[in-house]
Amino acid sequence: MAKVAMKVNGKQMSGDVEDRTLLVDFIRDTLALTGTHIGCDTSQCGACTIQLNGRAVKSCTMLAAQAEGADIMTIEGLAQGDKLHPVQQAFTECHALQCGFCTPGMIMASVGLLKDTPKPTDEEIYHGLEGNLCRCTGYINIVKAVKRASQLMAG
Amino acid sequence: MTPGKHSRLEDQRFITGQGRYISDVNLPKQTYAYFLRSDRPHAEIRSINAKAALARPGVLAVLTGEDAIAAGFKPMPIFLMVKGRGGAELIKPPRPALAQGKVRFVGDQVALIIAESPAAAQDAAEYVEIDYRDLPPSTTPAAAIKPGAAQIWDIAPNNLLFDYEMGDAEKVEAAFKAAAKVARINLHNTRVVANPMEPRACIATFDNAQDKYTFYSVTQGIGGLRMQLSAAMGVPEEKIDVVAWDVGGGFGVRFNAYPEYMALLMAAKKLGRPVKWVASRTETLLADENSRGVDSTSEVAFDAHGKILATRFSFLCDIGAYCVPVGAFINTGGIFGQLTSVYDIPVSYARSRLAVTNTAPIGAYRGAGRPLMSYAMERVMDEGARITGIDRIEIRRRNLVPTNKFPYKAYHGKVWDSGDFVGLLDHAVKASDWHGFAARKADSTKQGKLRGLGIACYIEETGGGFAPHDEVELRFGSNGELAMYAVSHNHGQGHETAFAEIIAKVMGIARESIVLKNGAPESPRLVGNATGGSRTLHGAGSVMFQGAKEIVEKGKELAAQELEVAAADVEFADGAYRIKGTDRKITMRDLIDKHKGKANHPLNVKTKLTIGSTYPNGCHIVEVEVEPATGVTEIVKYSATDDIGNIINHQMVEGQLHGGIVQGVGQIFGEHAQYDAETGQPLTGTFMDYYMPRSNALKGMQLFDHPVPTKSNPLGAKGAGEAGNTGSLPALMGAIVDALRSAGVEHFEMPATPARVWGALQAAKAGKPAAFAPAQA
Repeated sequence: MAKVAMKVNGKQMSGDVEDRTLLVDFIRDTLALTGTHIGCDTSQCGACTIQLNGRAVKSCTMLAAQAEGADIMTIEGLAQGDKLHPVQQAFTECHALQCGFCTPGMIMASVGLLKDTPKPTDEEIYHGLEGNLCRCTGYINIVKAVKRASQLMAG
Repeated sequence: MTPGKHSRLEDQRFITGQGRYISDVNLPKQTYAYFLRSDRPHAEIRSINAKAALARPGVLAVLTGEDAIAAGFKPMPIFLMVKGRGGAELIKPPRPALAQGKVRFVGDQVALIIAESPAAAQDAAEYVEIDYRDLPPSTTPAAAIKPGAAQIWDIAPNNLLFDYEMGDAEKVEAAFKAAAKVARINLHNTRVVANPMEPRACIATFDNAQDKYTFYSVTQGIGGLRMQLSAAMGVPEEKIDVVAWDVGGGFGVRFNAYPEYMALLMAAKKLGRPVKWVASRTETLLADENSRGVDSTSEVAFDAHGKILATRFSFLCDIGAYCVPVGAFINTGGIFGQLTSVYDIPVSYARSRLAVTNTAPIGAYRGAGRPLMSYAMERVMDEGARITGIDRIEIRRRNLVPTNKFPYKAYHGKVWDSGDFVGLLDHAVKASDWHGFAARKADSTKQGKLRGLGIACYIEETGGGFAPHDEVELRFGSNGELAMYAVSHNHGQGHETAFAEIIAKVMGIARESIVLKNGAPESPRLVGNATGGSRTLHGAGSVMFQGAKEIVEKGKELAAQELEVAAADVEFADGAYRIKGTDRKITMRDLIDKHKGKANHPLNVKTKLTIGSTYPNGCHIVEVEVEPATGVTEIVKYSATDDIGNIINHQMVEGQLHGGIVQGVGQIFGEHAQYDAETGQPLTGTFMDYYMPRSNALKGMQLFDHPVPTKSNPLGAKGAGEAGNTGSLPALMGAIVDALRSAGVEHFEMPATPARVWGALQAAKAGKPAAFAPAQA
């Protein structure tokens, strides 16, 4: 067991973990932030995507210990109080979610995508969301939502 | 920013990470489960030794099939209403909670390990010693029914469970003899996995004092799950509570109880502590119900003018190692409900044989049999066009049920109550610019690409429901909020919004004041259908509509008292009761609030309706472009014109169609659950091996509504959940085959992966146009 500490959604957090504990398990089980989901075992689905030091990262791809001292944002920290982030707003406006399970990861990946590419083309969206699976929407409205979010963020 | 007025009511919690899925929940004193699964496809279990596992740190119990026998469990139920050829009954292999005596597929659950942490349970599984005697496996129905194949079940000779037929074989044979032309095609519909993004998860508890189980689970409907658990455990339904919250997708494979559930409930009783299990994706791929996996032959007899004289179909269906509750139904009635499809066909005959194999059991998935029929029918219609030289549009138009023939009684007895098949075809042909294809193909050819055009007309019989009726209860809470209760469980479809919008419109109250409270322990026990078969909106939704109207009617008396007139003098419109001919009124909202806080609000209602099937139909037209150097195929245009009756929420209907169509795209372009024929080992055990469609799956999508409302339910709606999938499979494959045919390929089967497309083109080049056999099934 080892103690790890990191900033999560603006607050300093810490906990004891086994060496083999994945970051996603630390976030879900120790910090009880269950908005970050687990949809596969092999880092294919992206349901666990978070922001780590400002980058979109699959939190199942690293150990909790590797996030020591990092600045993490999960889906729970994205809205500012009652004010939704433009990506959250666009997802609901465009009906870019159905069962909601992939949604937190899809939103966090889209936030990362728009940070790198504020005005993405369709091809850039396909590329940016390549690591995130959705089984309900057929992605059509997700692609629309990313474009809508881009508009909202441009003001 | 706040969600807009068109946003779904359930969205807020999902986009902020506040959804409540089972894996998010923990109960006090909870333990953790891990299933040790068979690593071989077919073997006798000679012994299981769990001593070393039990000695591992944190391990509380290891349960096996012996424990399930001791618990007095019965086999899982199997539902089938029909008899086979010669009056034969379906052979029902008994499926136990944990394997007994034999394992029959890789992934079969052999032992359940319970520990103080998930990791401890999983670690301990490695210490369970199992002595197996291997038996030869069969991984396809064709292999399983071959003489000499190893018997998977003693009670199922030749590994066949059921042989089902419909129609008149002799009349069909006579029609084929008299035919001017006969079109014939053999097809393989690949085995796929539904793969909801949320793997299965449950918590089982047992309350000793009340002698009662509570099962927190993913499900498409608590009523059906409770009934199945009750039947399999031999425990009365009153002794089982099923609780469900947010469910991360279903697509058919969250409809039935699974044997693991009984094992978990057994463990909870034994230990006196809650038992939590969260499946991995590998377990989803190996041990969730798989789907499709069907070989078929389609034949159509045409007269000299391209009119259909008769059709004949044969299906050989993979049931997997066990027959799941709906496994036999979807491969008989599920297919044959659409026997004559959208066409006016005088006589038909079809047969379906269900075989067991050493593979994951087959269950329902998006369409549940209907896409098998649409695929078998539309692919042979294309073949008919080819052999008669009649254009693909024209041969369909000549045979579609004419619009003036509705209601139309099809040969197999189903009545298509409403429709405009010809109108849909004409619309789709125009919307897709079918006739401009030649010019677009010429452009593609110039760029060295192959272009193909595909069309499919389809109809499907949406679920008639397993329950005798759908019941809903509407109760006003202490704050005046209206709580809706039904059996049908939301797992992405948007019940919370659709039901609320139906009621809000009738009652004239804000949709935000109406909340769906399904699956909670305090929910009333209602009769009704799970979500499935595309029936929730016109089933439970119609009952919501009726319930709202009953509330309005009930309110008349109360409103009359408030307005101090006779009820006969009161009328209701736009959310308010008025004294006729005056502007004196009381709003529905005020009337509700006047009585809020009462133990039993006077406007509460409980009501029910029996609503049967609907017949959504449509015409899908697809254009693809193939890069011959790489085999990469892209959908460049997809136009769908669908009749799904009246639409309540347009955005949500489109979402359902998108999802269904892209699941079709997934199957056609790559999804394929594969087993090695020799070893019986699965080859697609993770998302690294199992193809899933990604965000670039479908471009150039256009959807068009062509509603012909049905009178079979008060909303006039037809099912939308599976229609997209039923239309997409044959349309997509038709387009690919059309493109490949222009390069000399004569036969091609799904999936159209780049490697397989490239391989088919190479084979054609080498002078073997038909050499590209079906994918390893």
